[in-house]
Amino acid sequence: MSAMTFLGPVVLLLLVLGFVTIAILFERKVLGWMQGRVGPVQVGPWGLLQTVADVLKLLLKEDIIPGKADRILFKIAPVIAFVPAFAVLAVIPYTDRIVFADIGVGLLYFIAISSITTIGILVGGWSSNNKYALLGAMRSAAQMISYEIPLVMSVVGVIMAAGSLNLTEIVKAQESLWFILPQLIGFVVFFVASLAELNRTPFDLPEAESELVAGYHVEYTGFRFAFFMLAEYVYVFAMAGLTTVLYLGGWNPLFGWTFLPPIVWFAAKFLLIVFILFWIRATLPRIRLDQLMQLGWKVLLPLALVNIFLSALFKEVSGIGNFF
Amino acid sequence: MISMNGEFIAFFLLSVMAIAGAVFMINFTRVVHMILALAFTFLGIAGIFVTLNAEFLAVVQVLIYTGAVSILMLFGIMLTRHRDETRDGGRPWHAFLCFLGVGGFFALLMRIIYGSPFNGETAKTETFSVSGLGESVFKQYVIPFEVTSILLLVALVGAIILAKKERS
Repeated sequence: MSAMTFLGPVVLLLLVLGFVTIAILFERKVLGWMQGRVGPVQVGPWGLLQTVADVLKLLLKEDIIPGKADRILFKIAPVIAFVPAFAVLAVIPYTDRIVFADIGVGLLYFIAISSITTIGILVGGWSSNNKYALLGAMRSAAQMISYEIPLVMSVVGVIMAAGSLNLTEIVKAQESLWFILPQLIGFVVFFVASLAELNRTPFDLPEAESELVAGYHVEYTGFRFAFFMLAEYVYVFAMAGLTTVLYLGGWNPLFGWTFLPPIVWFAAKFLLIVFILFWIRATLPRIRLDQLMQLGWKVLLPLALVNIFLSALFKEVSGIGNFF
Repeated sequence: MISMNGEFIAFFLLSVMAIAGAVFMINFTRVVHMILALAFTFLGIAGIFVTLNAEFLAVVQVLIYTGAVSILMLFGIMLTRHRDETRDGGRPWHAFLCFLGVGGFFALLMRIIYGSPFNGETAKTETFSVSGLGESVFKQYVIPFEVTSILLLVALVGAIILAKKERS
């Protein structure tokens, strides 16, 4: 065991916290520009310290627990929601050398651990003893269960093409061609399903302000609320990383431009995905609950199954079979 | 004699986690707390699978039991009787009889476990891989696998038909 075994995760945690701080500011700036506003400009130069000020404000707020709430569950719910969000980052290969846990079933580990967060959300909504919080938690659980299936089914094509569940092996299989081209249907299904898993617009029904006040975290204040928000943005980090690894070739360079180091390539693709997430939020309206279920079960799941079938079929065709 | 290496410590902690979850599951009075304790047990068992080098099994355990089954249970309970508490029956002799029965069963089980020798060799779990598992399931045991999946499909369709009948 080297010092990096212990220091590495701490560095990663600080990096992720830094990413979340910048990402929230970036999201507000992008939303502002797309809506013809300037975004936050008051705190610090160009509004750079806005998120820092917001976090400080959250830390200083009074910590309120509703009188009729289930106190213990109310306290541990943010923890249950956040811990898996950070634990999934362990298996993402940032470059061929910067990877924390190179386990054989990395892809499945990511999907399995991330489903635990739903328990945290459900428990948080239930223990608040508030009908809006409960409704938000219910919606969140229903959404996560129904979109986890197309998410898993859509990556089966990638697993078949790479012949491995290990994320490092999956990246290495994309040296000649990124999976986004042969697995285009799979990528679209994966991306839509990951938007729903992240509870982001157009699938932000669990937090629909206009109908549910704020969803499952309506009774949370101060630092507990910050933890739910943090878990959400850490999942943005993790999901963008996973999309990069699965479909955009991870640290592999485009056009053979190897003069840029691998980590820069990874970061560039990763940031592109993050930007697209914010872009979609600024562009699309929220969909209705019945449309959400219909999209998940009647469109995405059949598409994912068709993708598996086509991948298996093309794999046997000579000539293009190498790419699938 | 058991040596105090990392594997033993991990096994000890994980089994305490699994057993504590099960005990709490029985002792809690509110149904939601029980399900959370149960999810905790499932996680502990997944951890024990990891110490046995069965990574795939561990991850599937988390995916199916901790992720799906616990959430479905929580979902069902919250939607139906979410303020429910179980109370003591107030029958002390009942508890005593239960203890006798369970104790007898435990003694019988321990006797059988210690009395029967393990036949065959221990498999080399260190070299276990997911591709090996896939090959044995889809090549060697493909017929039982397919029969099981058809059985599950039939059960699923049956459940839907039963639910439909109740509504109409």
